[in-house]
Amino acid sequence: MQVHDKNLAHRESSGPGRWFGEEGTRTARLMIYILLSIVLMFMDQLGQYVPRIRGAMELAFEPVFHVVGWPAEALQAVELRIRERNDLIAENEQLLQQLLKVSGSVQTQAALVQENQRLRDLLGATRGKAYLFQFAEMKKVDLDPFSHKVWINRGVKQGVVVGQAVIDGLGIVGQVEDVHRHFSTVRLISDPDHALPVQINRTGLRTVAYGSGQTSHLLMPNVPLQADVSPGDVIVTSGLGDRFPPGFPVGEVERVERDSGETFATVYMRPYAALDRGREVLLIEPQAVIEPLPVEQR
Amino acid sequence: MKSNRKNRNLIFLTVVTAILLSLLPLPEVLVPFKPYWVALVVIYWSLETQDMISLGLAFLIGLVLDILSGSLMGLHALSLVVMVFLVQHFRSRLRFFPPWQQALSVLGLLVNDRIILIWITALMGEPLPTWKYWLPPLIGMVLWPWLFLLLDRIRAMSRQQKS
Repeated sequence: MQVHDKNLAHRESSGPGRWFGEEGTRTARLMIYILLSIVLMFMDQLGQYVPRIRGAMELAFEPVFHVVGWPAEALQAVELRIRERNDLIAENEQLLQQLLKVSGSVQTQAALVQENQRLRDLLGATRGKAYLFQFAEMKKVDLDPFSHKVWINRGVKQGVVVGQAVIDGLGIVGQVEDVHRHFSTVRLISDPDHALPVQINRTGLRTVAYGSGQTSHLLMPNVPLQADVSPGDVIVTSGLGDRFPPGFPVGEVERVERDSGETFATVYMRPYAALDRGREVLLIEPQAVIEPLPVEQR
Repeated sequence: MKSNRKNRNLIFLTVVTAILLSLLPLPEVLVPFKPYWVALVVIYWSLETQDMISLGLAFLIGLVLDILSGSLMGLHALSLVVMVFLVQHFRSRLRFFPPWQQALSVLGLLVNDRIILIWITALMGEPLPTWKYWLPPLIGMVLWPWLFLLLDRIRAMSRQQKS
């Protein structure tokens, strides 16, 4: 009791406690911190200063991400060890078959590329582009579900630059947002702030696909009401905006909402890429190679 | 004085562990059940020690969590500051609750926190989350008595080590 009283007396005599009392001081401090965090959130949302500070801090915390990844990596290694031999043989066979199928289609594609090139030459148009890819792996870190970000294990050292397009085996995943020494962050196309210039493959109609905040679908809110869009249409990147190269598959139209009271139809698209469960991704090299793919490469 | 420093080390260790736990990737099935580890640990320490977790410290822990988990800067900071404030406010009452009642109050704190977060995410234009969003507070409540016992045990052990 004695101590308590002394403490109180001390607080009364000096500091802000004199005016507000202890409880009041605490409330005042709470208000200050709440205000501070709201300002921070605003600045982060608007992209002022805070993202840069965050980038620097992420760099400082890089070791943490490695540490957190360890258990998952160890588990994976153990799993690989104890996998049945038969399983591995079966998987191997399946992969071989897949490889055969893919290489078959690549052969025909090579011929097509060549033909396309010839036609372009005839027309005097610019030469088509082939792309170089860089392999990257997503880091096993569980991020905030609202952040729509993933980490990949390639950074400045491997030549990653901001704005590079990221795809997986099925479609567009997102774009590189921040580059650090050995890793980078990728903004997914499902982010509500992300806009992706796209084109409907069948009709050539150009529009913009926005993230919906959910990995299950993207939104195309400004397609004209009378536009020829129907479920099942394949959506590809249009290449406008110079960020994403043209012609990469993005997704498939799921449903079209035509409300006659509105100016535009809303199109829901199901992205092809495994946004929520993918592991390996490809980074598209920024400087596209001008020469076509070599036809013979055995 | 010495026990204070010991406590400080312990707080540091447990909070770091909680942050690592919340970043640890889980199997897809378990993800919606992941409790708000950092909040649970912070609640424990602000209940058990008088002033060791100040509002400023809670703010800092939240910022670190924001950077590491990639959430909006200040989001977790706000959430933890409000939480510590509430615990400090009701501390004298909460401390003497029987475990199940304490667990209920923890549920209240965590649900309140989720309401604040949902409000912010709605302002940011994110879609409203599904019912799974409300699972972590329940898990937190179930875990609370065990976590409390565990942390108490750790604290007792470190105290013994000293003497």
